[in-house]
Amino acid sequence: MTVIRTAAGVVAVVAALSWVGPSAAQVTAREVLERLDANMTIRTARSRAELVVHYRDGDDRTMTFESWDRGTDQSFLEFTAPERDAGSRFLRLGDAMWIFLPRVGKSVRIQGHMLRQGFMGSDFSYGDASENPSMAADYDAVIERRDTVEGRQVMVLALTARRPNLSYPRRRVWVDVERWVPLREERFAASGRLLKTAAFSDVRRLADRWYPFRIELDDALQTETTTTLRVLELRLGVSLPADIFTLRHLEGGR
Amino acid sequence: MSEPRRRVPFLRLAWRNAHRSIRRTALTASAVMVAAAAVVFGRGYVRGALGNISDTFWRTETGHVRVRREGFTARERSLPAHLSIPGGVALARDLARLPGVRAALPRIRAFALVDGAGANRGGLLLGLDLALEADFWRPQGMLVAGRLPVPGRAEALVGEGIARKLGVGVGDSLTLLGQTSFRSLGGLRVAVAGLARSGMTFLDNAMLIVPLDQAQAMLDLAGGATEVLVFAADADQADVVLARVQEAVRGRIPGGAEVKAWWQQSQLMRLLASSDAMMAIVWGLLLLMSGLVVVNTMLMAVMERTREFGTQAALGMRRGDVVRLVVEEGAVIGALGGAVGAAIGSAITLFLGSTGIDFSAYSRAMALPFSPVVYPAWTWVDALGSVALGTLAAGLAALVPARRAARLQPAEALRT
Repeated sequence: MTVIRTAAGVVAVVAALSWVGPSAAQVTAREVLERLDANMTIRTARSRAELVVHYRDGDDRTMTFESWDRGTDQSFLEFTAPERDAGSRFLRLGDAMWIFLPRVGKSVRIQGHMLRQGFMGSDFSYGDASENPSMAADYDAVIERRDTVEGRQVMVLALTARRPNLSYPRRRVWVDVERWVPLREERFAASGRLLKTAAFSDVRRLADRWYPFRIELDDALQTETTTTLRVLELRLGVSLPADIFTLRHLEGGR
Repeated sequence: MSEPRRRVPFLRLAWRNAHRSIRRTALTASAVMVAAAAVVFGRGYVRGALGNISDTFWRTETGHVRVRREGFTARERSLPAHLSIPGGVALARDLARLPGVRAALPRIRAFALVDGAGANRGGLLLGLDLALEADFWRPQGMLVAGRLPVPGRAEALVGEGIARKLGVGVGDSLTLLGQTSFRSLGGLRVAVAGLARSGMTFLDNAMLIVPLDQAQAMLDLAGGATEVLVFAADADQADVVLARVQEAVRGRIPGGAEVKAWWQQSQLMRLLASSDAMMAIVWGLLLLMSGLVVVNTMLMAVMERTREFGTQAALGMRRGDVVRLVVEEGAVIGALGGAVGAAIGSAITLFLGSTGIDFSAYSRAMALPFSPVVYPAWTWVDALGSVALGTLAAGLAALVPARRAARLQPAEALRT
């Protein structure tokens, strides 16, 4: 899983085939989801990113972290700044997530109530970061309309969860039909209440993929903040230490 | 030449008349008795219950006056540590020196994720100065197992409900995570020093009391607090203390201070503050009902004694005298019923006041926000007042039959 997805829990993240496949006019909603899923299967990745929480009162809080990912199910993340947050680590294995704080000295699995809390005080929740649904397998999709976002042609998909217990039973995604990257997303509760909005930008080509290097997220229920995730560095196909995705490593450091 | 004023022993006559039909008198008196007993016990119970609620809220939530940073209460769902009072401990020390102030307590109130024995859930983290809180939060009184946490040590007093749900007991460890004053993630690993039962379900299922210094360390709040609770030496002087505290905190809290007296802090508190007026209506209705019974039975008595009133009128008894006689008869019966009722009500109130009425079973189901044991509070004023009110109500109620008796014409009355 890429850092973007790890930290942001961005489901509609990102990445698309560099080759131009069938024309957008011929693609079905399901095929779009399958393309997004196919692009998520990154073998390994290492990245560095910045998480900025913007407060209504004008303050910003900036944190940086490094992330290591294997496939879509294994992710290890460590905050490097500011000093008070440095050393805070997260391990994700499938849908399970653990946190390690140096001053506690013990890992804690994040579940239940905590999954809805803001990830390090940001608009991303721990649930966002730990949940890793397969878009094609977990959602039914219909094409609502075609539109333009920032001058780019997009396809607007309405998604409905196919299984319970997903954080967002309904979503709406604006997919760039030339680069197959989501440019905007709305996430809803089952009742239809808007929970979060996301905007993806700074889309860059990396090897054979396109990635948004900047994600802005707004939790509609948390009115005090908005959050920006900016990828500073992303390397694919790196070799990773054998035991990096283990609780022992989480508690013992690198 | 006017006739000299006769001395009629009205009270003695009324007393004697009350004995003429013991059954009717007993029926009339019993209505007043029930009302008087209900008033004495009801007032005692309500006083005890409201006192319980007020006391619980004062101790655990509001103090008599509560100081918070502006904006904290508006975000009470998240209890944000970044909206704390820097130097809250020093501020509390200064407020404690104000005239009329019994104590000022710095507290930290924050949400925490609690992890123990493989399970985790949300909890209410309370950082308390345990020495100062002995007479206020009273953690010692809540202790059901183990001991209180020791300041300087990473220990917690845990609500027995949340302890059960987490599967931990005395001696086990818990990990607490919460948002710090810098809005990052803070943590604390504590040993469970003791288990607490407050009787309030919502607290027992959530509270984790740690020494103030430990909560400060966890949330990056050195010397700070999220609130300062001020207790007046005399609760009735809370408004005076409120003004002094408002003056004392002016300019001391960045972003502004929110200083509120207990009755300004919630709808329930406002309701409690106005409860006397509402309850007066209830007591009034109760007395009115007993008065209606008195009217009814005394009307019966007057009807039965039509010939007697006719004779008295024929012998020269004035209408006013007849009214007075009947009214005093009603008052005597009311006094009798009131005295017996007050005695019964007092006995019940005093007995239950010593044993308490335990609503634990209901409070668990209803999550009542106060201690589940209510101690009715008896007072002389209630007992003597209910006798006086019973006498007055019965006397006033007797006015209706008295006026009817006074309107009887002697000849007509004697023919019946």
